[in-house]
Order: sequence, then structure tokens, then C-alpha cells
Amino acid sequence: MAIGYQSLFNDNDSVDKANTHKIYDVIIVGSGVSGSFMAKELVDAGLDVLLLEAGEFFSRTNFPKKEIDANSKLYWSGGIEFNKSADLAFLRPKVVGGGSIVNQALLDRFDDMALDSFKEQSGVSFFTKESMQPWYEKAESEIHQEVIPKEHRNKNAEIFAKGFEENNYLYDSLTRAQKNCAYEEGNDCIECLSGCRRDSKQSTLITTLKSAINNGLHMKSLFEVKNIVHKTDEVRVDGIHLKREYESFRAKKLVLASGAMGNSKLLLNSGFKKSLPALGQNFYSHPQFMVLGLFKEQINSGNGPFQALKSADPNFRRKGFKLENVFAPPVGISMLLPGHGEEHQQLMKKISHMACIEVAIRDTNPGSIKTNRHGKMIIDKKLNEEDKKRKNAGIEAINNIFSSQGAQRIIEGNLPIGLHLMGGLGIGERARFSVVTPDFHLHGYKNIFAADSSIFPNAPGINPSLTIMALTKMAASKVFR
Amino acid sequence: MTIKLLKPIQQKGLLKLGDVICPGDLELPRFSKTEFYKEVDRILDYMEKDDLEGIRFLLTVFSFTPKFIINIILQLSQRSGGGNLILANLRLLNIGLKGIITTLYYSNLDEKGEEIFEVLKWKTKITSIPVESDDLYEHTDEASRMVKLGNEPKDFMIRAKSAQAELREISIEAKVNHLLELKEVILDSRDWIIDEIQKENGKTRSDALISEIFGVLDYLNYLIKFAPRILKDEKVHTPIALLGKKSRIYYEPLGTILIISPWNYPFYQAIVPITSAFIAGNSVLYKPSEHTPLTGVIEKILERAGFKPNWCQIVYGDGKIGSELIDLRPDKIFFTGSVNTGKKIMAQASSELIPVELELGGKDPSIVFEDASLERSVRGVLWGALTCSGQSCTSAEQVFIHHSIFENFKNMILTEAKKVRVGIDTDGDGEIGLMTTSSQVDIVADHIKDALNKGATLLSGNEWDYKSKSIPPLILENITAEMKIYDEETFGPIIPLISFESEQEVIDKCNASKFGLSASIWSKDMIRCERVARALHTGNVSINNIMLTEGNPALPFGGVKNSGIGRYKGEHGLRGFCHQKSVLIDSDSNKVEVNWYPYTLKKYKLFDKMTEFLFRGGVKNFLRFVITGLQIESYSDKEAKRKAE
Repeated sequence: MAIGYQSLFNDNDSVDKANTHKIYDVIIVGSGVSGSFMAKELVDAGLDVLLLEAGEFFSRTNFPKKEIDANSKLYWSGGIEFNKSADLAFLRPKVVGGGSIVNQALLDRFDDMALDSFKEQSGVSFFTKESMQPWYEKAESEIHQEVIPKEHRNKNAEIFAKGFEENNYLYDSLTRAQKNCAYEEGNDCIECLSGCRRDSKQSTLITTLKSAINNGLHMKSLFEVKNIVHKTDEVRVDGIHLKREYESFRAKKLVLASGAMGNSKLLLNSGFKKSLPALGQNFYSHPQFMVLGLFKEQINSGNGPFQALKSADPNFRRKGFKLENVFAPPVGISMLLPGHGEEHQQLMKKISHMACIEVAIRDTNPGSIKTNRHGKMIIDKKLNEEDKKRKNAGIEAINNIFSSQGAQRIIEGNLPIGLHLMGGLGIGERARFSVVTPDFHLHGYKNIFAADSSIFPNAPGINPSLTIMALTKMAASKVFR
Repeated sequence: MTIKLLKPIQQKGLLKLGDVICPGDLELPRFSKTEFYKEVDRILDYMEKDDLEGIRFLLTVFSFTPKFIINIILQLSQRSGGGNLILANLRLLNIGLKGIITTLYYSNLDEKGEEIFEVLKWKTKITSIPVESDDLYEHTDEASRMVKLGNEPKDFMIRAKSAQAELREISIEAKVNHLLELKEVILDSRDWIIDEIQKENGKTRSDALISEIFGVLDYLNYLIKFAPRILKDEKVHTPIALLGKKSRIYYEPLGTILIISPWNYPFYQAIVPITSAFIAGNSVLYKPSEHTPLTGVIEKILERAGFKPNWCQIVYGDGKIGSELIDLRPDKIFFTGSVNTGKKIMAQASSELIPVELELGGKDPSIVFEDASLERSVRGVLWGALTCSGQSCTSAEQVFIHHSIFENFKNMILTEAKKVRVGIDTDGDGEIGLMTTSSQVDIVADHIKDALNKGATLLSGNEWDYKSKSIPPLILENITAEMKIYDEETFGPIIPLISFESEQEVIDKCNASKFGLSASIWSKDMIRCERVARALHTGNVSINNIMLTEGNPALPFGGVKNSGIGRYKGEHGLRGFCHQKSVLIDSDSNKVEVNWYPYTLKKYKLFDKMTEFLFRGGVKNFLRFVITGLQIESYSDKEAKRKAE
């Protein structure tokens, strides 16, 4: 009975499974300081939030212990990235908790100088001490802070202090987000550079992010966002999980919190440059130059709290640099020491005789972030004459300090590093010269927000962490408004 | 710890570079005096692809560059930098190379690393926090659903079950992407894989390359191309009596597949069933043979292809652990191995009605007719009997030769067999490798001794001492049915030559076997070949070739009788890893179907008429059927609603 009864069937409807992804209230890209603080604020406000993070989730039980793994597992590109001319390195964390996992948890409010220049460049009125104060207070209330007690300072810090005193420079203790470091048990903070195995360092993993997760935050780690699609009432992000699985998520609103380089790259690769001409511009990085002082006696800079003090000299601030008492573990030091071979190894053998001070400059020459047609980032960032002057002034001060303490030799590090990656999505009133509005959304895109260091209009010359927290809190109210 | 990402020549370059950067002194070791280079994957794995390519290239160059030149290159590159692109790249190169070496050297990787730290007087520590203040939270997000469990069989099963949910959500396209990646990973690391296979199995590099690497890649190609089509929801015919409804088959994963594999093809028998189960959406527990576990190899390869650890877990151990895993009720057991173990597994599985697929042994005949090319059949049979030292389930283990060409065939195969070289190779030049286990050597010895006792003649391989794993080709004649070598699986490099008179005789002899895995038929007469192929009670037949049905991933593979149950590979094989769910789709309405209550006399009569019209056939009857169908539908609906009121 072969009459064409098949055609009687209305059989053309697709059997493809529908895309069943739900629509979140907000998606946050990046789980660093800004992403974590934003997550907590939004979850506390009752929103359904998804946090996407390219890095892996570690906790104090499984942070990488050896430098080899710390570099490759906690940072982008296997540990280190460079500007176009390869004379400035960038360390960009890639881990759940972001910079708060690998930094030294230094918290500083911005001074008038920083806020004034922000205000002047951006035209944004809240960059004043008075307007920022309540937000700074709120941010500080989230995190336990300490300074290193004098009796626990290590020898490297003592050289720093004495050198400052003998040269009549002013210094101060660093304010650190930490708790219960138990120095009396002989703990060496340098171990916490790859994540604190005591949970003493107050990373977002044990503060805001933890709270957000406990209150219902959805998080997906090892997910790299590659593309953003903006629609009038919805944003879609496309990305790759574990380098293999392509997946998309949808939300009413999107918060970008993957830092100056991450946010810029993502928006550039998603085609936002046309409508946001300032995208990727005004990139700053507080280039740091570590200087090692070689002493006759053993210093053991790696022991105890390795970072306790900072310069507090108004002269330094005016000249555009700051000094910090710092050190690095062996692989780091080996990369700082010039050359290779026998000479290099003989120097390495003196690592316990080395003290270290770094000069971080408040860089004035804006860099730019672009992407090539393969989506790869190209960073054009150079020091101009003024920046070099700032660096040299800092190195001169370090020379004075080390010399006054009897250093046998002073070695300038081989590798300038930018740790504070800022700008690219500068905040401002005018769309032509800025990317983010004073209401923290992108110019012309009401559903895409950013409040991390990428919105800094220039280099403040001060540790950005606390200000990122404050601005994020300020921005959160705009996101869920 | 083997290096995956650098070839041996690049490793040599790395050691040289290491000695230039860290030459050592009285206290510090020279880089090449340490084992640090073995950990280089821990760096390279995280590098950008093009950076890695650059490093590989340089290390290759360094392998034949004198050290003083490497030194000069490093000195020059260190001083460069700045605006010029070439200078910038030179500087990157300097930092990259120095970074790799010093990271390995100063990361405290082993005892030598500790000694270095002592010389540097670098000693840092961190004390743990008191346990009572422990408020550690275990965040498990979608990306790391790996539950923290131990390595008991039940833990493997819990992880496997949790992976099922994950795998169901992953699209077929994403799974295919993993296979594409897997293909590349295998291709890139094939030398290393062959090394590992050789170490445990003893086969020659050529055997490993051809049967395992090539075979796996070929199968992956097949899955990549065809699996999405094979596993797609299928629309099937719906009969006219069910007018207006739609019928579908969903090919859904079974759940967790327990794969138990043998030692003869440790790589192929891992990847092929694992990927088949995976692409169909199943999580896998894979138990390799304890003789050839390839420890760590499969994990590493899958990991690099983006497989999450709980998608396919490797469970090491002997039969005991296999049995414990069966007790945990996997959704299917895919077993390849001996008949005896296969029977035990099926018996154990029967108590919980766990489906089994058994790929067991064989006593595969080669049938050489008088009109076959002597040259081709001799060479084919020789290879089919000796590849992998005869340790394949489809090895030629009985060679039936037409009596008219028996002497010629015998002489020629003897001549050819003498030319085949025996022993393990390191460069790909070897022909017959080693036997894998000494217990298998014993079985071969037993079969040969038994045959000789019962009157067989050993024509080649007399030099073998019945103990060595290096067995030369053992060619025998005067074989009778009483001998073990006649109808038991030997699994060694044996070639028993048996003469036959007629086609029917040889077919009867073959079909009398308790096995039925595969056979090869050699003849010019294609009609005869097809006739014999149909007459043989066996799973697979190669005509004028040998062991080649396995060479086509589209052909299902499996045996009859004691050779096993079920088929794998090909469309049918892939669906064997699926649960075929039937779905009939009707639309929502108030309509009451004719086969539902109420039943009435009138409805009975109408239904009876409809049955007559539908199945009697003819155009006229069809029209009557349509009319009656409409009548009964409307009646049935009205009647139901009337009764409801």
C-alpha cells in the first residue's frame, strides 16, 4: 500500500534540542579583587549571579608549592608576558581569587595627588577624599588588616629602615590584609606568594568570594571568555571551558573584572573598538625595578615577613616613585640577576647575603593594548624620559640606602616588571576619550559594567587594591539598580 | 616520568643549554648532572603554542651547536631589547631559555634540588594552621566536579556516576572536539607511546605503529566523521494506523561502561573502546591488563585532549579488582580477553543482569585454495600468523591448504619464514617481537610438545628452547584433530599446515571449531570466495587478505560461539554503547483514542472491519479502511464523552 502517506505527517519540525541555558541576572568575568567583591555585593542583593574565571580553583590545601608550578599554574601564558619591545614584563594572575592570591595584600587609600589627577583626567566628580571616604571605609570593613610588628621585621626590613633613617628619608609600615601569621613559629611569608597555605593572607577566597559562594553564587572556573555579544536587554558571553568545550551564557547584565589586559583584550576581540575609540588606550603598569644589595653578612631576606615597609617620603611621592622593601624566591632572583653561566651561579650562591629594595614608578607615558587578527594581545608600553627620570631618582635613593648600610655591591635587576595593570577602559565623562561612564557602564552599553583597575584613567602611584574594592562597591549599586 | 613535549634530540639541546646557563661548580651540580630536565613538561605544558614551537626549534638547533656558540647567542640576546622587533624577539628568547633552565634548576625539584637550596642557604617554611580552626570550604564548581574520594572501587564508581551527568550535558560537537584534540595528541606523542607499548608488550615498533597507533588514529577519524550522524535522534516510520503521530529513536548513553582489556594491544584496546563509549556519552572505568598497564599513559593523553579525570578513570589491578568493579553494577561490561575469563564475567554479570559484550579468543583458519596466488597467500598467512608474535585474537592459527599445492605452499612459507628476523628493536627495523608474558610462552611450549608427542612435525623453529620469550616462527605439519594445537587457542607464532581435499570438507572442519572469530579465504574464484564466506560460521571474513576487517573502522567486529557476544566498531558497534530509547509523539488534545475504553459492541464491529480492510490490501480496501477509520474515531470520541456526562 505504497501511497505517499508519509506526506500526511507534519514531520518537518526540528528535533534539535533547544538551548536550555537560563538567563542569569548578572555574569561577572574574572574572580579577582573586583570580581569577588562585585559577586558578594550582588549576591547579597539577592541576584542570580554567575562568575566565570579562566584560572583554576585552588585552596590552601593545594596551592602549588614549588616556583615551577606557581608560575605556570597561577599566571597567564605560563608565568610572564611582555610588551612589544620585550623590555617590560607583566605578571597577570590567572586563578580563582586573582591578584589577591598572589599579591602581598597591601592596602592603601589614594592620596589627594592620586585622586586629583584621576579627577582632572576623567572629569569624574567622585574622585575626592570626601566622596571616596565612605567607600574606603566599607571596603576596609570587609578585610582584616595588620602591619608587621617591629619585633618581627626581618633583616632586609631593618636595612631598609636604617638606610632610610640615615639618609633622612621617611618610611612607614605597609598595611597588609592578613591575620594570624604566627611569626613566632618562624613562618616565611615568601611562601605565600603562590597562595597562602595558612589562609592568613586575606585573599578574596576566604573573604568576599567565600561569602558569595556560601550565599549562592554560581561559579565556573577554567572557563575563558572569548567573546561578548550585547543586545538591548541581554548580554551573551561565549567562551571555552578547559580549552575545549565551547559554551555560551546569557545574562541581563555583564560585569567585566578581568583587569586592564583581560578586559581590553576581550572587548577588542569582541569588536567594541569601533564604538569605543578609547578602548585599550592609557594603559599603565607601575613598572618596578628591583635592586639587590649584596652584603658581607647573611641577610636571609626570604625569611620572616619579607615585605614590611614602604617609603613615606613626600619628596619621593613628588618625584613620582616609591620604594618598597621586598624580595623574591630563587627562580625570581635568578631571573633578576643579569647574565648566565658561572658568574650568574656564583651570584646565586650569595642569595642569602642579598637585601632588596624595589622602586615602583608612577608611570606617565600611557601605553596601548591592541589585538592582532589572531586575537593575540600586543602591548605597546615604553618609558618616556620622565619615567626614566623617576626610575633613576628611585635607584639613586636605593643606592644611598644600601651604601649607607655597607653593601659590597649593588645589582640592578635585569627585568622590570609591571604588577599593577591599569587602564584600557578608562573612566570618564566623554565617550571619545574614555570607555566607562561615571555610572560604571560602557559608553553606549547600559548592560556592561566595569569597576576594576582597567577603569583607572592614569597611574596613581599607590597600590590599587583597596581602591578597586571601594570602586567596585560603589559600582555594585549601579549594577543592581 | 617521560617527557611528552620534547623529542629526544630537543632534550639533548635542553641539557646542553642547561650546562651553559648552570655549569655548576664544586658545590653546585652541573645542570646535566641532575634529573631536572625530566620535569620540563611542567613548564612547557602551560606555554602558548607558538612560544613552545619556538623553544622546540631552538633546542633542536642547540642539540648540534657547540656550547660556546650557545653561550655567545645568550650573551648577544641578553643585551638586546628595545624598539626593533628582531631585538625584542632575541630578548624574549633569552628570557625564555634562561627562564626554563633556572626554573628547573632553582625550584627544589628533588634531592639534588634540595642540595642546591642548601648551598644557597635558602630555607623557607610555613606552619600549618591548627586543625580545629579549620573552616576550609570545598568549592566544587561545574569545572571541577571531581568529588574528593579515595581509590577504592566504590570511589571510582561514585566519580564515574557523577561524570555521567556532566557528559550528558556536553554536546556531540564538543565531544568530537575532544577527539580531534586526542588525535593530535596521539600523533604528536606517537614515538613516546610506542616506547611505552614496547616496554611492556615486547612487540616491534612496526607492529605498534601499524596496529596500534595507525589503527587508533584511523578509528578516531571514523568517529569524528560518522559518530554525530550515527548518534543523532532518528526519525522512523510510523504506520498509517497511528496517523498523526511521530516516532523517534534517541540514542542515549548507557551510563558507566566498564572496559576490561587484554595485554596484546594495550593502546588500541584502551583508546578504541574508551572513545566509543565516550562519544556515546558514557563515563568509563577502564581496567588495563596487569601485564601491560601502560601506567599513566592513557591518563596523560586523555588529559591533554581535555578529558576531565572522572570522564574516564583508569583502574589498575588484576582480575580481583575487575570483579569488585562488576559488583558495583556498571551499566555495561565491555570485555576483551580469554574465553575462560569471559565466561566468569558473564556469570557474575548475570546476577544483576548487567549487559556484557565479550570479545574473546579464536582459532582462526586461513583457507588457501589451489588457484590462489602462492606468493600472496604465503606472505599474507605468514604475517597474519606472526604479527604481534601471534598474540592477536585473529591471528591465523590453522592454515588449510588444498592438497594439490600443499608442498609448494610449505616450501615457500618455510623459505620466507627463515628470512623473518626475531627480537626487539629500537628503531623500527624489527619484524617479530617478543612474547609478552611467560605464562603465554608456557602455553605455546605445551601446545608444541603435545603436537610433537602426537605425531606432528616441526618444520622450523627447532632452535627455540621452549622458555625464551623470543620465539621464531614455528611451522608444523602432520596435524591431527587430537592435538591441542588443532582446536585450542595457542596465541603464539605458530603456523600449523593442514591439507584439505574439498571445499565442503574444509568448511565442515572450520565450522566444527568451538570458536568463530575470523577467517581468511584465498582464491582467484570470487564466486567461490563468497560462497565459502557465507558458509563459514564466523564473525569476520577477509577474502584474499588477512585480519583486514579490523582495518576498516566501519565494519563491526566480534565473534560467534566461544569467540564472544556482541559487536563493536562501525555503526552497530557504536550503538552498542547506547541505550536506544523509543519515543512516540502525539499532540495534546481532548481526543479519545479508539483503543481506549469504553469498549462497545459497535466499536468491536467497526474495529473488526477496519482490521480486515487494512491488512487485506488493495486500493479499494485502503479507501474502505480510511472511511472506517474515520467512523470509528468519531464514534469512539463521542461515545467516551457521552458516557462521561
